[in-house]
Amino acid sequence: MYRIGIDLGSSFTKGVLVNEDNAIVDYFVGRTGFDFDKASKKVIDHFSAQHEIEYPIFTCGYGREKLTVPLVSNSEIIALSKAVFDIYKKPCSVIDIGGQDTKFVKINAEGQVDKFKMNRKCAAGTGSFLEEIAFRLDISALEFNEFAEKATEEIRINSFCTVFAVSEIIGMIKNGSNMPSIVLGIYNSIIERSFELALVEDFLVVTGGIPDNHPMILKLFKDKFKNTESPEKSQFLAAYGCVLLNTK
Amino acid sequence: MQEKPEIVKLQSVGNLRVTMDDYFNRLKTADETKNKKIVWCTSVGPAELLYSMGFEVYFPENHGAMLGASKTADKYIPTAVAHGFSPDICSYLTSDIGAFLQNETPLQKSGFKSVPTPDILVYNTNQCREVGDWFSYYARYFKVPILEINTPLCINELTPSIIKSVAEQFKEIIPELEKVATQKFDIDKFRETIKLSHDGCVLWRQVLETAKNKPSPINFFDSAIHMGPIVVMRGTQHAVDYYKILLAELQERVRNGISAVPNEKLRLYWDGMPLWYKLSSNAKMFASLDTCIVASTYCNSWIFDALDPADPFESSALAYCKLFIVRADEEKEKVLTNLLSEFSIDGIIYHESKTCPRNSNNRYGLQNRLLEKTKVPFIEIHGDLNDSRCYSEEQSIISIETFIQQLANRK
Repeated sequence: MYRIGIDLGSSFTKGVLVNEDNAIVDYFVGRTGFDFDKASKKVIDHFSAQHEIEYPIFTCGYGREKLTVPLVSNSEIIALSKAVFDIYKKPCSVIDIGGQDTKFVKINAEGQVDKFKMNRKCAAGTGSFLEEIAFRLDISALEFNEFAEKATEEIRINSFCTVFAVSEIIGMIKNGSNMPSIVLGIYNSIIERSFELALVEDFLVVTGGIPDNHPMILKLFKDKFKNTESPEKSQFLAAYGCVLLNTK
Repeated sequence: MQEKPEIVKLQSVGNLRVTMDDYFNRLKTADETKNKKIVWCTSVGPAELLYSMGFEVYFPENHGAMLGASKTADKYIPTAVAHGFSPDICSYLTSDIGAFLQNETPLQKSGFKSVPTPDILVYNTNQCREVGDWFSYYARYFKVPILEINTPLCINELTPSIIKSVAEQFKEIIPELEKVATQKFDIDKFRETIKLSHDGCVLWRQVLETAKNKPSPINFFDSAIHMGPIVVMRGTQHAVDYYKILLAELQERVRNGISAVPNEKLRLYWDGMPLWYKLSSNAKMFASLDTCIVASTYCNSWIFDALDPADPFESSALAYCKLFIVRADEEKEKVLTNLLSEFSIDGIIYHESKTCPRNSNNRYGLQNRLLEKTKVPFIEIHGDLNDSRCYSEEQSIISIETFIQQLANRK
């Protein structure tokens, strides 16, 4: 029998299939959309097509209370912390960059959340920020990263507001700035927003869809704070943590 | 779906409704029959002096809270903004003036044609500068006199010179009030009003202090509603009578072990303004999380127990300068430290109110200093007292639920 953990994010729903040894044996990610129940059932259908699964499923994230399947609900921050501590087993700071939230979590030596903070009421510096820019400039996430890798200089993005940041970028293009420098500026604005949340000390773990899909962002985190790591497929950690939290 | 526990409602709500209805009826009668003069006053203005001179006293801030709680503020704020008021300034002001410009008020449900027409306006700057701008708008509109008590902000040490200055200002406005009032100033009446205000404040303090019991018979969401009489009827027998009833009910609850939140497991402190438009849903959410907000900066601010009939002017000045919001962070830290200990607080929620910086105490690092000193964890949520557009509910719920789990894990 396999257990399922689901993290219903604002943009994407992430699922993990976990075996009796608490190891992840499969991953699934799909768009959340407007129907949370449908999004979670897609995950369950995907896993149950090949494996015998057990209920309840273990969930966190937006709208989880609306699901119609038997479930155990968890806080996504507590779940994320559980999974991170399970990997590193030492105190650390976590910066998680998701679709509309950037979270800072301080985990103590016992693996408990000591402190946490979320971005203020603004999505600049999150996945939605990059999605909006990508849509307006008609480029993909992959191209973003390729541009940033080619940058020889950085152009600073000043606007706090995502929409105005796009206007600022269009102005830069009009004035002859090159895309690699602009994208590096966009990436650095995300880094700046993240470190603004709280003081990072000793050891930093960066997680979420953004570092997973934009390796240059992770490199910039390491440039700024040397003792930084990011586990593979880190966007699935909260889903995995949901299962771990409910494992005796 | 998880089952939510039932919240036991306070029986005194009925008496509260009658007390508040009677207050508004007195204002309505004065407005319609002109049997009494009407003064508009700020919520921590010199209410006692005004009541002692026979005025009916109307409080625009109370009206602002009504607009927030009735979830109509969002309808009115854009109107005020279109008339040149910034959406970044006090949303009590913008919603109140916006409603006025649209000639709408929740008081119309109680038979008012509009808000009661002022004969004079009096404000105290002890809260913020906005009250002056707010009242000045109406003074220009109604072409009536406006009087100011100018209290310095961010007071650290309450020096005799500050008290003397404010006490003198209380005396100086009397001749101006007499030009409008139907009664001359009478020191004995003032002393009597000060005594009633003192007694009402002591009862209100005792009401709030019942929350020191575990479990608490009252929570922040109850207190935010039941503070109505101490805000608008301070200095009257009506407030004293009401709080005797409420206190008796709460003491009875303590004796019978009835709690505001069934299964109280965690006790929180709320700093900053209420989210008026979320009062009821937040009350249910915290109850479902077995968490009681047992004390708050907001409700605990209306305790003016320094008032002393033997020395009415100096003690009024002292009471209105001692107020939490007027104080510098150093003094605020002392007050908060004591409250955290007295009410056995497990965690603090700082509501950073976008349009009310003076009621947001997490803007200059106080939250970190207090954590260092008391080890009581905190979270910050971002919203506003009346402008719900500044509040991201889903994000705040994630923060609150995580915080409660974090605190539960510590226990």
